[in-house]
Amino acid sequence: MIQPKYRRSFGDLSERALAFWLLLPAALLLGSVALYPVVRLFYTSLFQRRLTDETGSNPVFIGFANFAQALSDERFWTALWNTLLIVLVTVPGALVVGLLLALLANLPFRVRWPVRLGLLLPWALPLVFAGLIFRWFFDSQYGVVNDVIVRLGGERLLWVTTPDLLFWAICFSIIWKSSSFVALILLAGLQVIPKELYESAAVDGANRWQSFWRITLPLLTPAILVAAIFRTITAFQTFDIPFAMQNGGSSFETLAMYVRTMSIENLNFGYGSALAVLMFLISLAVTLVYLRYVRGADD
Amino acid sequence: MKKLFWLLVAVLVMSTALAQQTRLRVFVGGQQRPDVMRKILDIYQQRNPGVRVDIEVGGATSDQQQQYLTTVLASRDPSIDIILIDVIRPAQYLASRWADTLDKYLPAASRQNLLRQYLPAYSQANVINGQLVALPAFADAMFLYYRADLLEKYNFKPPTTWDEVIQQAQTILQRENNPNLNGIGYIGAPVEGTVCTFLLPIWAAGGDVTNAEGQFSLTVEQAQRSLQFWVSLMDRRVSPPNMAEKPQDTIRQEMQAGRWIFGTLFAYAWNRFQNDADSQVKGKIGVVPLPAFPGGRQASCLGGWQWAVSDFSRNKAQAYRLVRFLSSPEVSKILAIDASNLPTFPSLYRDADILRVNPWFGQALPVVQAARARPQHPRYAEISEAIRVNTNQVLARQKTPEQGARDIVNRLQAIYSGR
Repeated sequence: MIQPKYRRSFGDLSERALAFWLLLPAALLLGSVALYPVVRLFYTSLFQRRLTDETGSNPVFIGFANFAQALSDERFWTALWNTLLIVLVTVPGALVVGLLLALLANLPFRVRWPVRLGLLLPWALPLVFAGLIFRWFFDSQYGVVNDVIVRLGGERLLWVTTPDLLFWAICFSIIWKSSSFVALILLAGLQVIPKELYESAAVDGANRWQSFWRITLPLLTPAILVAAIFRTITAFQTFDIPFAMQNGGSSFETLAMYVRTMSIENLNFGYGSALAVLMFLISLAVTLVYLRYVRGADD
Repeated sequence: MKKLFWLLVAVLVMSTALAQQTRLRVFVGGQQRPDVMRKILDIYQQRNPGVRVDIEVGGATSDQQQQYLTTVLASRDPSIDIILIDVIRPAQYLASRWADTLDKYLPAASRQNLLRQYLPAYSQANVINGQLVALPAFADAMFLYYRADLLEKYNFKPPTTWDEVIQQAQTILQRENNPNLNGIGYIGAPVEGTVCTFLLPIWAAGGDVTNAEGQFSLTVEQAQRSLQFWVSLMDRRVSPPNMAEKPQDTIRQEMQAGRWIFGTLFAYAWNRFQNDADSQVKGKIGVVPLPAFPGGRQASCLGGWQWAVSDFSRNKAQAYRLVRFLSSPEVSKILAIDASNLPTFPSLYRDADILRVNPWFGQALPVVQAARARPQHPRYAEISEAIRVNTNQVLARQKTPEQGARDIVNRLQAIYSGR
């Protein structure tokens, strides 16, 4: 009697070959929507290409001249500096506010869903809507912020058109918008901290403050790091909120806003691509730090 | 079985009929009354059974529409055949080769005959380097809107000079003593309309960005005087201190809510004041040509929209035929009656049907005829940005008028010399 031969449904494929074929569709998809545009961006950044003259249809290869131009472009450095300021203020800001929100949501309320819903709503709101809402809040004549200031006996402030005030108004809006995302990650982190630790700390006579510093914060550090890295990457790409709050103007311009103006408005695709490549490299650097951290955690 | 056979035959016949039909796609902005445009396209479809025209509606402002169109056209997408473009764009569309030039369909003589019928400003705006880039859809210009009821209450006549506007605003603001009432509204946010704000006093004083030969000719002094004028309205408290926050449609909405005595706005505002359900100022608004500037003449800023055929269209000849219809006196009249769009044909400003709906069109013709065009340049977007951002910063008191003027002139000089 001949034993029926065991047949794999995918023919005689080895484990490796099967893995290859199964991963191929995803790899093709990612390649076409993520890898190809990035490669194309690098390629375009090496050309002089303005859609407003003949280089639009016949780009001229100029090597790294666009990058040299960027490094001596005052507007690029201002935009980079503005972006860094946003990162430096809104990342710690969102972490602190997000932590407070997470602690609040983790309290043993009888009805939890209103707090959780309140946490989710800012996160679910599209960025540009948040920008428009806060633009209205900070309107000098009809905004609620100035209304409160006037009721408290203060002077009306021109939030949107005074550079320093605009910066803080933008940071405030970004922190409001992004701290709920931070809070969601931290809340997940809080919920895996074993209750027994707090109970035994209480038995040992620790007060709430001590158990927060000695138990909660150390055990939450991995979650805080993840949140911080995610927030930093998105903060480097800040665009929607400052754009919407300034009516599309560029008194306060981030790197992403400069890239958009240069390519989509001024139609200078070569130089705009070079700026985008620089922005990509910065994001990549931050992401590598993140990957290194994730690897470290796995080991 | 027999039934099925005939059904199949019917389906076949219908599908070949459909296949023979030309489909055209027209792009218009959300603010340009797509409902009225649809009505006009329906008329064309009725007369041309072989053509089906779809309409694609874009964003509300010229900038928003162009952002989308840039993506479509830079990727050579053939899906749009005809585009309604702002008067500031033909030069860029030609330079980018996004528009199919229309000369090939029109012998030189008939081109001249055709263009002669339009307001001269529009035949000029659409001919770039001797090539016909687009044909006019409707005209537009800036006007001074005023609260007729308030002026009447204090026995004022509609103003003809800015000094009168300032004086009337001062008196009315003082006597009304209403904290929600503002004086003179002008566009000051970093948006396209602010380019007009900046250029108006310069035109009135006889200056311009370029001279007759198209060379850059704006001086720091001219620019500074213009910026100084708009800042002085805030200094004299006839305009609120937050003019740098105001795009055109915000002033329109606020005026509609009864919060402005004067507003410098394009023609579209009239229809909204008179017909919008939420308008608090129905029948209380008057409109006159923009006043004369101190020591200068009257000037207005030319707006208006043009029909261009996309160079990536697969039905250019059919698209051209439709553009000829869309830029005809017949359509101009429908747009004037149904959408209060100013006609591009001078003769229509005396048309009784149009005047019945828009009585003020009678006075509008000299304004549109005298209105000045913003610079025509392939890199207009950069010119516009330099002007509107700097003007905005001066109004926000981040820069002095002198500094703002110097920055504008330096940047424009660089663009005009190809840097």
